[in-house]
Amino acid sequence: MDEEFNWLEYSESMEATAGDGEAPGKSRGLRRFLPGRPSLPRLRRGSRAASGPPSASDILEGQDERALADLDERLRALRERSVAASQPAAPAHQALYDVDDLLASPDLQSKPGGVISAVALSKAQERQVEMLRDIVGGPSQSQGTGGDRQLPVFSLDAAPRLLGTALLILVVCLPFVSSDYAEGELPPSVFPEDRHGPRDMYNLLDNLSRDDYVLVGFEYGPTAAGELDLLADLLLRHIFAQRVKPLIVSSNPIAVVHAQNVIKDINRSLSSADAQLVHGEDYFLLRYLPGGALGLRELSENFADIVRISARGLPTGLEFAALEEMTELLLIAESAEVIRNWVEQVLPEAEGSRLLVATGYAAQPLAQAYAEGMEQIVGPLFGIRDAFTYGEKLRATFGAFVSVEPPVGPVIEPAPVNAESDSQAELPRATQAEIEDAPATALPQPTETAPPTATPFMTDTPPAPTLTPLPTDKPAPTATEASIRIVEVTSDQRVNIRLGPTTVHDILALGYKGDMFEVIGSNGDGSWYQILLPAGVEAWIAAFLVEERVVSASEFAGAQDSASASESAARAVMQLGFTLRLGKNRPRFYQAQPPPSGDRPELALHRDRSLETPRLQAMTLGTLAAVLVIVFGNTIYALRGLLRGPRAQGR
Amino acid sequence: MDQTTLQVYAVLFVLATVLLVYTARYFQRRGKRRPQRRMLSGERVSEWTSGAIEANRPLHLALGGTAVGEDKTAIALAEAEFFYHIIQRSSASDIPPILSTSAPSSIPLAQDTVRRAWSGGDTLSRARWYPGDLAYAAAVTGMMEAEEPAAHILAGSFGPELALMIDSADRRGQGSLAVSDRLEGQAVAYAMADECLIGEELFAAAGAVTDDGRAQADAIVLDVWRALLIMGVTVVLLLEVAKRMPWLNWALVLSVSAILIVFGLLIYRRR
Amino acid sequence: MSNRTGRGQGFGIALSAFVAFAVGAVTALSLLLGDNPALFGDQPGSAQLAGLLALPADVLLRLVTIVVALSIVIGIANLLTTHVGRLSRGKFYSAVLLASFGFTVYWYVTRRGDTSLLEAVQVPIESALAALLCLSLLHGGSRVLGKRADIWGLLFVAVAVIVLLASTPIAELAPVQAWRDWLMRVPVGAGARAMLIGIALGTVVTGVRALLGQDRSVRG
Repeated sequence: MDEEFNWLEYSESMEATAGDGEAPGKSRGLRRFLPGRPSLPRLRRGSRAASGPPSASDILEGQDERALADLDERLRALRERSVAASQPAAPAHQALYDVDDLLASPDLQSKPGGVISAVALSKAQERQVEMLRDIVGGPSQSQGTGGDRQLPVFSLDAAPRLLGTALLILVVCLPFVSSDYAEGELPPSVFPEDRHGPRDMYNLLDNLSRDDYVLVGFEYGPTAAGELDLLADLLLRHIFAQRVKPLIVSSNPIAVVHAQNVIKDINRSLSSADAQLVHGEDYFLLRYLPGGALGLRELSENFADIVRISARGLPTGLEFAALEEMTELLLIAESAEVIRNWVEQVLPEAEGSRLLVATGYAAQPLAQAYAEGMEQIVGPLFGIRDAFTYGEKLRATFGAFVSVEPPVGPVIEPAPVNAESDSQAELPRATQAEIEDAPATALPQPTETAPPTATPFMTDTPPAPTLTPLPTDKPAPTATEASIRIVEVTSDQRVNIRLGPTTVHDILALGYKGDMFEVIGSNGDGSWYQILLPAGVEAWIAAFLVEERVVSASEFAGAQDSASASESAARAVMQLGFTLRLGKNRPRFYQAQPPPSGDRPELALHRDRSLETPRLQAMTLGTLAAVLVIVFGNTIYALRGLLRGPRAQGR
Repeated sequence: MDQTTLQVYAVLFVLATVLLVYTARYFQRRGKRRPQRRMLSGERVSEWTSGAIEANRPLHLALGGTAVGEDKTAIALAEAEFFYHIIQRSSASDIPPILSTSAPSSIPLAQDTVRRAWSGGDTLSRARWYPGDLAYAAAVTGMMEAEEPAAHILAGSFGPELALMIDSADRRGQGSLAVSDRLEGQAVAYAMADECLIGEELFAAAGAVTDDGRAQADAIVLDVWRALLIMGVTVVLLLEVAKRMPWLNWALVLSVSAILIVFGLLIYRRR
Repeated sequence: MSNRTGRGQGFGIALSAFVAFAVGAVTALSLLLGDNPALFGDQPGSAQLAGLLALPADVLLRLVTIVVALSIVIGIANLLTTHVGRLSRGKFYSAVLLASFGFTVYWYVTRRGDTSLLEAVQVPIESALAALLCLSLLHGGSRVLGKRADIWGLLFVAVAVIVLLASTPIAELAPVQAWRDWLMRVPVGAGARAMLIGIALGTVVTGVRALLGQDRSVRG
């Protein structure tokens, strides 16, 4: 018996037989086993071209009214039997006589001499026999197909599941119990050089100042909490530490609640009551956006209305005209679809801002592709390992100053700063420890050393190959020169100024429309200009964002009225891996100084880190256990399949 | 490519689709059929609907998070069409199928789909709303216990929570067909479900379970676009490869093509 | 399936098809023309014209967002009717659900803005479910070859194992990480794009069918 039983074929043959009385060409399907041909009435009304083999339901489908009285006598009997089937089984011999004949015997498996057991039944046939048994109320023979099957408390089928689960739980718990089970290496404390996305992301967030607002898309719920909570916690801490106000929004209602929980956890880590983050002052939780992609479109187009109402339905007091007023957009999302929606619906309206993306493993490939393909998208940071590195860097940045009290004056002579600018908020947080280690020349030594807890991160951004010492024969522009070749930023958006002439080089600084830089060269095809930042630092800017012209030295000097820091200081800063902060509308320069007094380093530092390492190790061990279970399970199934032959395998 | 050019292409694409839809419908009406694309699930769905009727149990059809009124409206409509034909096939049963969704805006669509395909009885309460993603999966597993559906057709927008539902169905011996427009859900569907559809098969699925002219015509249109797309990608790929091989010339290309065609024909004839 | 197609019903079908077509066409045109001020050149007023043309789409889409937001009411009505019906059949869990519903409504009415109930109940339960999901996925992953004993199943398992191993920070597995990177960049990227393009094609075809009034749900 080579071909599998086909119930559908069987129905068809029954129909053909009953309909016009023609003898079928040959018996098919289960009919082979029949002692005689049952004479069933034609059930189907009208003719319908079959798109595939008609099923039993096809046969019945044509009946518009299914009142019981209209049913054929045998169908009614069939139906009554099926209702009775849930009762204790009636003797199968007394059930439908045709079917009874069909089956030859109710215990067809247990009777070795029976008609059917004489032939090997395929799985499909066994299923159909079981189905017929179900209808006639006969005792069930198989465990495999019945939907009524009760879940066993313990069965051999459940053993692999239980073992796999037990193994996973065991290995995941081990690192929390003892440190002897550490497996794998901890993530680096700095992002590797080839990962520009996370480095840029850190720099851009670190570059925020107190009057900036960040729109945070908080797009994950408890499902991804294990993977993303730490990352969200750190990113928010970084923002809060600089007194930047995040506007948190989500298209997932549970995520709004979850965001609140993450902030509560941050508050719990802060000791004093007056240091607590307060909704409406330090952050804003906006109302949930229904409608998926359309909700996000609504956010981008009606930003002003949406920011007025908080998640609790109360007025926020925020007045923004458009999404463009956000300095940056930060998206913490668990699914690729949400990232796509943000990129397609929100980002086009946020001119001048970047979308910084943090995500999990599942959405990482898409986020990576976006970040590589679109200038406006930065990142991605993904998973718990990146979170660990981010946390280390954050701690290093803020940590060094905590015990240096008070800061021993400016390490480098402060440059004159514009009266109208908030000089405190614009200062970077280069640490004394870092400056000490910096191979920069002519740096005055601080009188007080950094505390031992500070982690210098000199290895973070080693000088890039393109960073060459400023040629001594190229003096900074002075008023004595008649004219200078410059480029002026013409793009309405903020532009990236990079370490080298490609978009994969680190972002060094941000330029704004109207900013002017002296040109000192260009790359081969003229698509990038090499410019001299006012502090004497060489950098590159894409040609299509700027306009080249020649100006008089005095005009150029006027544009740079914020003056320059010393060359050595700028170079030291470069080597420390900071973004040069040019400020809005006019260039301003980095100076290596303690953090502004307005910053709140405790937010970055007061974290419970005791569980971070065991958690990472648990993840490693858990992944290895999962691989083991998957490989072992599939090997067993593959072997079983090979031993039983292809037809006996589950479908 | 500037925005205007892009828009012109988009309009041309839509117009070509309109033309294709009408052409396919025309040939469908004329009775010209073409072999159905091989989609295993069509046969399995027939088996499940028959099984559900004969075991007097409902089918469970899940829309997941596909919401009408959002960017997934078209997907919701395609799913409704697919479900409509499945319900029609099982309409001889005494128990109407259960349609579940986690998007409240899809409830009217679900109710409408059952009502159209099923005459008589209480069909409104067969469309169920279980909010959330994971909560939806949990509610569906509860329903599996309480109402014992014969099989689950999970065609919609699902994430990894699909695993909970399929696993639970599997343990109860209930069949499952799954497809998701989200990649995470699609991976789970492929690994765990008894049957799975992939990507745009969801839109052609209605054509696989019915001989309805419209559904079949849609499947044809999709097949045509798919074939054109594959050809386009292949041509571009070949041209790119050719650019990197300066020794390649037309004579070589033609002779290799001729040899391949002859071999292909020989293999085809032998089969 | 009912075969009734009276005159009134025919009119209803035609009307709903027309409405669907009209709304769809207006939105599509409005989006096409209004989103692209460059179409109208640099003449004065072209931006205003584009804005005017974009207005119908903006209004309709905003309406859709409002309707979608309001559809939660339909959901609640559905939930209540389903479970009240089940309550009459003596289902215990339905009683629990209805009681919880009533309590939650009371809680939020009396303590406006307090999300502690949600935090204390919904979030922990969802977190627990997420943990269970991990086990389900593990079990599903361990029996892929039981479901699909073919070359594709094998490939699926192999890729899953490579990706999992590459995510572990073990120095000895560094070569696997290179394979993972290639897999993610080339075949996985291509496959994912292919699937998304397929879905987009299907969306266009279904959208066109709805616009032409051919869709069953549009035809009334």
